[in-house]
Amino acid sequence: LTALYVVLEVADATYVLPASDVRELETFSGATRVPAAADFVAGVVHIRGRVVPVIDLRKRFGLPPTEYTLESRVVVTEVGDRLVGLIADRARELLRQDSEIKPPPRVIAEQTQGFVKGIVEVDKRIYLLLDLDRIIGEEQDHGEREHHLDDGEPRRRALPR
Amino acid sequence: VSEKVDLKEFVGAFVTEATEHLESAIAKLLLLEGAARSGEPMLRHMRDVFRALHTIKGLAAMVGVEPIVAIAHRMEAILRDADRASSPLTAEAIDTLLEGARAIDARIKVLARGGSVPDPPPSLIARLDELDAQPLTKSASLTSTIALDPALAQKLSPAELEHLAHAAGAGLHAFRADFFPSPARAEQGFTINRVRERVAAIGELVKVIPLSVPANEHAPGGLAFVLLVVTSKSREDIATAVGIDAAALEELGPPTALIAEPVVADEPEELVLGEPARRGIVRVDVTRLDEAMDRLSSLVVSRFRLSREATRLAQSGIDVRNLQALLGEHARQLRDLRAAILKVRMVPIAEVLDRVPMILRSLRRSVGKAVRLEIQGGAAELDKAVAERLFPAIVHLVRNAVDHAIETPDERVRRGKPAEGTVSVSCTEQGSARLVLSVSDDGRGIDRELLARRAESDLPTNDAELLELLCRPGLSTRDEVSTVSGRGMGLDIIRRVAVEQLGGELTVSSVWGVGTTFTMTVPLTVSIIDAFAFECAGQRFVVPVAIVDEIVEIDDRLAMRIASNTSNVRVFMRRGESVPILPLEVLFRLGEMRTGVRKAIVVRRAGEPIAFAVDRMLGQQEVVVRPLEDPLVQVTGITGATDLGDGSPTLVVDLVALGANVRMTRGAAA
Repeated sequence: LTALYVVLEVADATYVLPASDVRELETFSGATRVPAAADFVAGVVHIRGRVVPVIDLRKRFGLPPTEYTLESRVVVTEVGDRLVGLIADRARELLRQDSEIKPPPRVIAEQTQGFVKGIVEVDKRIYLLLDLDRIIGEEQDHGEREHHLDDGEPRRRALPR
Repeated sequence: VSEKVDLKEFVGAFVTEATEHLESAIAKLLLLEGAARSGEPMLRHMRDVFRALHTIKGLAAMVGVEPIVAIAHRMEAILRDADRASSPLTAEAIDTLLEGARAIDARIKVLARGGSVPDPPPSLIARLDELDAQPLTKSASLTSTIALDPALAQKLSPAELEHLAHAAGAGLHAFRADFFPSPARAEQGFTINRVRERVAAIGELVKVIPLSVPANEHAPGGLAFVLLVVTSKSREDIATAVGIDAAALEELGPPTALIAEPVVADEPEELVLGEPARRGIVRVDVTRLDEAMDRLSSLVVSRFRLSREATRLAQSGIDVRNLQALLGEHARQLRDLRAAILKVRMVPIAEVLDRVPMILRSLRRSVGKAVRLEIQGGAAELDKAVAERLFPAIVHLVRNAVDHAIETPDERVRRGKPAEGTVSVSCTEQGSARLVLSVSDDGRGIDRELLARRAESDLPTNDAELLELLCRPGLSTRDEVSTVSGRGMGLDIIRRVAVEQLGGELTVSSVWGVGTTFTMTVPLTVSIIDAFAFECAGQRFVVPVAIVDEIVEIDDRLAMRIASNTSNVRVFMRRGESVPILPLEVLFRLGEMRTGVRKAIVVRRAGEPIAFAVDRMLGQQEVVVRPLEDPLVQVTGITGATDLGDGSPTLVVDLVALGANVRMTRGAAA
């Protein structure tokens, strides 16, 4: 069984997503911030005429932010009707592998907050298979978000500038 | 006030209606042009053109636009004479008529802009008059070959007689049905209008001749209508449609005795030529629909608040299951209502494509190529706003195909292709929400090598790369500047319309020597609003004009800070009303609160004003709103995104919903 994967690099780790979940890779040149959206949502961008939210994977994984570079990529994923972009430090197509996907050891599962759902080993290198549904919040209930205007600490952190 | 306003209203209605009739006239004239080439019968199209022009003339006379009356009147006369004489129109005559139609079109446009309508060009009038004066070549009288009462036959034009005779010879039936209107029959649903409609649905109604007959129980009104119909249906079908005994129906055979003298009507052809009554059609200004949509939007906002209140009740332990069920139903009803309103805005794509042949026609002339246009419109309907944006793109693609792609007849023959090139425009629905529109040609295809050289780029290896190259602004594969495609839009603009503005896709496939197809996939509906653009903390936003009460300048040194716990909210006085000001940058967490003299957008929520402080206003424009569908970016007060031309999305904010959502101490403000 041969499967194709897109390889994403975030911080020092290398992740993969099944190529069938990925529509395209785009360079990242900034997004329009959406007030009151979740912290990890960098904003929205135009992709093929659609307005698509992009998730900053560093923020999603709770990692320190870094400057976007020319190598930064938006991995445009397609889940059902949804198109969601994932910003990675680098991304490339494709990795072909025919070994089995193993469940992650518990320590990895815990350390990655459940965002990794499997491990793929190719040429003695380990790749972490991302749980796309969890990353884009497919399993969460998203109520409408509200804005607040008060003196106290904002309930949500300020959106990244 | 009254007179001027009234006239203006009339003119608006005139422009809409006359444009519609003119488009139909032009479409039929183009069909006539084809018929003239192929020698097909013209009668029907001639009548249609006549009918349209007759209506335009009447409308123009009503609003007093003499130049249009003058042109339409002459065109109408030419058509009437040709019809009566049963003389086919020459290509030259059709040409002149088309020119007349264009002259009318130009004048309608001037009128629409509020300008004064110029007199018709003297040369056009001269040519029309000349045509009208020309003796017509009468076709041989066929009266003798038709077994119809001479007194009735006299009421028919030679063309009509020919039509009846031709039908009998072509395996169709020509019937004469006499209908006697009476109250009793009307009660059964048989009035002359219904009978006409029913017969027209199953055959071609060649003529309806009213006759006065001696009043008796069969014909209490002393009136009869003779319907002459050509049909492929049986005697029984026609008899049923007319509501008479099949035996009473006469297949046009040997002459019969006339039952009565025909009524002398002033203009008998009006019975046939008169515009059939249009039932149940209402002309509506699109802005009224937009208004209905705006009202609906505020309904959606209040529903949202309602459901929040319900949640609050549930949290305090009250059983709200019934309420929730009602709210769910309410939400569905709102969705249905929205769909119903959107449906009203839909126009058939066929109507849009009807305008394409006219463009091709003038084009063929200027490039000296033989091109045939094939249009498959299909039954799809799309939002008027989409149609308006799509049309120029279609025109450009067709123009490009004729100008660049189709070879000269000589070259085509050398390549073993038919001398006449084909450009086809076809349209299919993809699912229920998208339209796939293709413009294909059988021309030379795109020269990838030449293109790559021009663009100083690598050879495109696939169609996507090819499109990228083609969309580079200012790129052309042609050596000489063309008068046809030199102006207008480039492919980059087409892609912009299809992709950025309409949220669709543009693709190309091209085979060298065989042809090129451009395909646009666009949504059937799109929402367009009039909006103010503004800037706040370095980010641009737009707000619908409809919800803005006022835009004011505020100086926060003159405004008052509200009590202790809401330090960011200030209040200023406006015309004796206290208005709370919310700094949008704080609300949106875009940065520190700014102070000094700023702009504020005032909206009203439940009658009470709220102002949102922003940095500066950037102007007003129409924008296409695309919804933010993804749950990740569904945020109260942000209704969608638009493209202001910089390529990145600009958010559309609903300040009323935002105001409703902000928690603050209203007591202090009021």
